[in-house]
Amino acid sequence: MQKQIKWGYALNQWKAGFTCFARLEEIERAFKVTAACGFDAVELNAGSGRWDPIGRPENIDVNFGSPDHFRLKLKDWGIDRVASTFFDPTVMSFEELHFGLHSTQPADHPRILAQARIHADMLAALKGDYLVVRPFPSWWKEGGLTTGRLAAAADCWNAVGAMTAELGLKTVLHVDALSALRTADELEQLMALCDGRNVGLCFDTAELTIAGHDVVSLYRRFHERVWHFQFKDALAADTLDEYKLQNAERAMIAAGGEREIQRWFGEMGTGLVDFPALLAAMRELGYAGWIIVESDKGPAPIATGMMLNSWYKQHVLDRRVD
Amino acid sequence: MTTNKLRWAYMDHWRIDTPQGQLSQYTSVKRFDEFLKQISAIGYEAIETFDFHLGPLRELFGSLENARAFMQSRGIEKVLSLFHAVMYDERQSAPHVRSTHDHIVNYAEYIMRSSQGLGVENFIVMPAGLYYDVEPVTDDKIRACAELWNRVGEMTQKYGVKTCCHHEFFCGIRTAEQLRKFYEWTDPRYVFFYCDTAQHVIAGVDPVELYLKLHDRCGGFHMKDTLNVDLNGDYRRRPDAEVMAPTTPRWFHEMGVPGGLVDFPAMMAAMKACGYEGWVGVEHDKADVGGGNYPESTALSAWYIQHVLKKIYA
Repeated sequence: MQKQIKWGYALNQWKAGFTCFARLEEIERAFKVTAACGFDAVELNAGSGRWDPIGRPENIDVNFGSPDHFRLKLKDWGIDRVASTFFDPTVMSFEELHFGLHSTQPADHPRILAQARIHADMLAALKGDYLVVRPFPSWWKEGGLTTGRLAAAADCWNAVGAMTAELGLKTVLHVDALSALRTADELEQLMALCDGRNVGLCFDTAELTIAGHDVVSLYRRFHERVWHFQFKDALAADTLDEYKLQNAERAMIAAGGEREIQRWFGEMGTGLVDFPALLAAMRELGYAGWIIVESDKGPAPIATGMMLNSWYKQHVLDRRVD
Repeated sequence: MTTNKLRWAYMDHWRIDTPQGQLSQYTSVKRFDEFLKQISAIGYEAIETFDFHLGPLRELFGSLENARAFMQSRGIEKVLSLFHAVMYDERQSAPHVRSTHDHIVNYAEYIMRSSQGLGVENFIVMPAGLYYDVEPVTDDKIRACAELWNRVGEMTQKYGVKTCCHHEFFCGIRTAEQLRKFYEWTDPRYVFFYCDTAQHVIAGVDPVELYLKLHDRCGGFHMKDTLNVDLNGDYRRRPDAEVMAPTTPRWFHEMGVPGGLVDFPAMMAAMKACGYEGWVGVEHDKADVGGGNYPESTALSAWYIQHVLKKIYA
């Protein structure tokens, strides 16, 4: 069973602003660092703007010629697979002319589906597996979920799931620390409403821990629907319920909230997540999918966090036989 | 099962970003721990460092034996080489000045005595002073240098350590002819050649050709690249050629840098042809000049080893 777990690395740590991770030599260096750390698969990030050369299909075409040519370049750099793409519809898009779309608003669904299709098409062309989506807006924008809004979001992701299924992909929902969805019971309701053939969950170990969940027990409860993982550590939990702050993306995550938390996310083994216990549970329950390691919002130099995660994987997780 | 003939070591020049600005990773166990994990994760199995780090290692870990055990717990086998950091000065220590030789030998022996426990195999030295301090470079000055390193090499061998000469492009023994004489006048039993690929290219010497001539005396390598040959005489420019040359803010780069002048595939082919076995050191000193950073350069070098060099010779 252990052999069926596949490892990859995310790329979101490289793009801190529009001036970085824009030049092709920076892209090449990032992939080479990833490969040097022992990861031969990646998770892309759905982006916006001409300065994100691998964030959109038209940018891939302009910069690499075609998805096939891009895959060949990736192979040259030591990257054999694109595992997945992360897509957050609540983030503004220059190309789609919006400042954020809400799955809880049925009127936004056609535009979410259309934008998701753009990235799913590219992911399919790159032979990927999972479209990872942010399923809800932040709590501070949305407030607590009602039955109606939960059902509306489920409708949205069922439509996206059906679309990705036609492309041979699956859709997985990534609940984060600021999400309007807060509780395991709400997650249970959501899963009951989502098509179990096409729509599953992506568990992000740090985001869920910050939101107050015990990732191991949550995984045991939902393991049949958890089809994708993002591994990063949480250096603090949101014990002050600061997800409710106005503009929590800035006030809590970026500014650190009342405690001025410098970093919420850390390298594996440095924080609150019990990765050996989680991995043991995953093996016990027969998990056979991707683990995407993340250095989300990691400080410069970016390579440092990646090499430390690589060391932890090789010297702690790979050696652990439970 | 095939056993690799080569193992890779990392010559350490890192500084790390901290809330107090850039600091040495030898300032705390945690920083040193993270440094070791990073280089171990990408395939390096030993470090090379400067002899002025012996004191901090002893302070951090209580003894050098403890320091080595800590390294091994992180996947780093040993301190392969000590780079002897000496500011040559004719009043006290200058290889071309015979009256300073006793002092240099005594200090080198002090380093040998005080470095036990780390597993050191190589004592790396710049075999002559700064070019402008040595010039005009006469045969007698080269002979004086040779006499010194013969003495040092014989001494270090008693400690099981090879004395290896590493020719910075700005040192007094840098041209093909100077190198030929120096190795002719040193004792092959005691004095070894340490091949720093970029330094020789900058000095206008082909490191592959040099290695082929000296391979039976080669104690190891510093594999690093450069984008520039010194065409302007920077090697003799006062006060400093290495970081203050007005023509070239950064001389050294990691292997695989676009536009790099070192022919690493040819070097690997030469090493294979000559049957070289053992450690190969990787270096990219001053990687932070101009906005670069050491971790990324170190990872890119590892990528180049894994995806280019190992396909030629492993």
